[in-house]
Amino acid sequence: MSDVALMMRQRSLVAGKLIGLMLLAALVFVWLGPIILVVITSMKSNDAFLAGPFALPTEPTIAPYLTVWNALGFGPLLANSFLYASAGSALAVILALVPSFALSRFDVPGKKLIFGIILTGLMLPQQTVLIPLYDTLRALNLLDTRIGLIIVHAAYGMPAQILILRGFMTTIPREIEKAAFLEGATDFQVFWKVILPLSVPGIMVGFTLNFIAIWKEFVFGLVLLNSEANFPVTVGMLKLNSDRYMAVFNLPAAGLVISQIPIVILFLLSYRKLSSGNFAGAVKG
Amino acid sequence: MAHPSLADERTSFIRFAQTHQFVTLFGILLPLAVFAVFVGYPIVFTIYLSFFDWNGMAPEKTFVGLQNYRYLLFSDKYFYTALLNNVKWVGVTLSFPVLLGLIIAYGLRSRIIPMPALIRTVIFFPVTMSLISVGLMFLLILNPLFGAFDTILQSIGLGSLVMEWFGDYRIALYTLAVVSGWAFTGMPMILYFAGLGDVPQETFDAAKIEGAGHFRMLTQVAVPQLRPVTAVVVMLTLFESLRAFDLVAVMTKGAPFGSTNVLGYLVYLESFWNSRFGYGATLSVAILVISILMATFVMKKLMKGAFDV
Repeated sequence: MSDVALMMRQRSLVAGKLIGLMLLAALVFVWLGPIILVVITSMKSNDAFLAGPFALPTEPTIAPYLTVWNALGFGPLLANSFLYASAGSALAVILALVPSFALSRFDVPGKKLIFGIILTGLMLPQQTVLIPLYDTLRALNLLDTRIGLIIVHAAYGMPAQILILRGFMTTIPREIEKAAFLEGATDFQVFWKVILPLSVPGIMVGFTLNFIAIWKEFVFGLVLLNSEANFPVTVGMLKLNSDRYMAVFNLPAAGLVISQIPIVILFLLSYRKLSSGNFAGAVKG
Repeated sequence: MAHPSLADERTSFIRFAQTHQFVTLFGILLPLAVFAVFVGYPIVFTIYLSFFDWNGMAPEKTFVGLQNYRYLLFSDKYFYTALLNNVKWVGVTLSFPVLLGLIIAYGLRSRIIPMPALIRTVIFFPVTMSLISVGLMFLLILNPLFGAFDTILQSIGLGSLVMEWFGDYRIALYTLAVVSGWAFTGMPMILYFAGLGDVPQETFDAAKIEGAGHFRMLTQVAVPQLRPVTAVVVMLTLFESLRAFDLVAVMTKGAPFGSTNVLGYLVYLESFWNSRFGYGATLSVAILVISILMATFVMKKLMKGAFDV
């Protein structure tokens, strides 16, 4: 290779590196920038914000957090969201376990129908069933109750959980259960003693995804609850979009950070699993 | 495979149920019952209600025949605005987050963009945020007084582009759709990233030897290989867009002049604010019909084989 060609090659390598770094910077700026700005804003006093809305806080303060925590009652809001997300997801997973076992292990008659139903449940826009759900819960005296919302979340979480868990269970090798069946084990014993313990990683992924989904959920909470005491974070936070809070941004910013902290923790604990595309495999079937 | 008759299906189901009681009860009948109560019955009830006039409280519902449908098709100008808005929303979502997600995933896999783990984390994180939080955040970012976005535009000499992002009826909807795209990009990105990982490296190497640049590599090698992933992504995108609600509720509430109403939000307004549950149900049926058309399209054209069980 001649010197000139080598130089050009090196130059294009350097240029490529540079372009790569610029793209990296741009992506981080667009996706992390807003979040960092919100965190910065949340640690400023009113005066500091008005003096320089984008400046780093010279004297970081937690005052906005305390104010917004008390004003919106974040304690009960977070507790409610936590209850809905954990109980709803747990129930969804429990409901999904045996169906996943059935669909991954047996040639169930009507398999196609069951999958069609699962997909319907997954795709159905919630808005189309708001009125009947409202009406049904009212008839059952479950409107505006925590248990009512948990049940609805569980029912609507179940289809995705079946897809995820079935996908996971199909990857469990069959040798162990074959031996168990030969020994005369029943379906239940195989499910309980073999499949269930081996499915724990899949259950964790499914539970985590469902937890995040319920934490984010807004429509059901908005329509099926009336009392503020029952509101999840997403519904309670709506108040932040009012002149009272939007005059200076430190309060809504602090509220935003508070609402997201539990998910950040969960995300940091599990994002490798979640972002590896494992559940993509589950969706693909 | 020969199509078994209904009677055959029933016999084989009974035989299965007799030998596998536990699986039948908790694996088939229980989820079907849950589905019937929370999905099946609500759909039927919605369709039934769409032929009635009902304020949601009164014990009596008044049968009005097709009147709600006539109003929907011929008198309700909000319906067409909302329908068009959903279409625009789909358009924005299919172009911005999906295309960008694909390009970023390719950039990461081909090592054009360094630090793939960092980028994936940063871009995927907003997927876990509630859209209420995302909406509030962008209310701050796009605020005309203290918003960072306008300030940035001005500081790089693009001040003339500054607009009333939420106040201008011509662009408010696009603002919402782009914000939702910001939050959604991580989804197509990781799906494509995973999909590209399954494409054999030799395919790319062969194209490279033939002198393909990144553009050709992306469009002629990656995209055809990623067809199944694209099917899933398109399906997710269509249904995410049809569900659009949260951002509208927190950012604009349909304003200005109903220009940011989407179908889902209209159902909510008519039913729970205007107490017109019958008409709300009619709008729900419209969404349902669109979903079914979309689902059929996706299944027939895109998903061939993706859900083989």
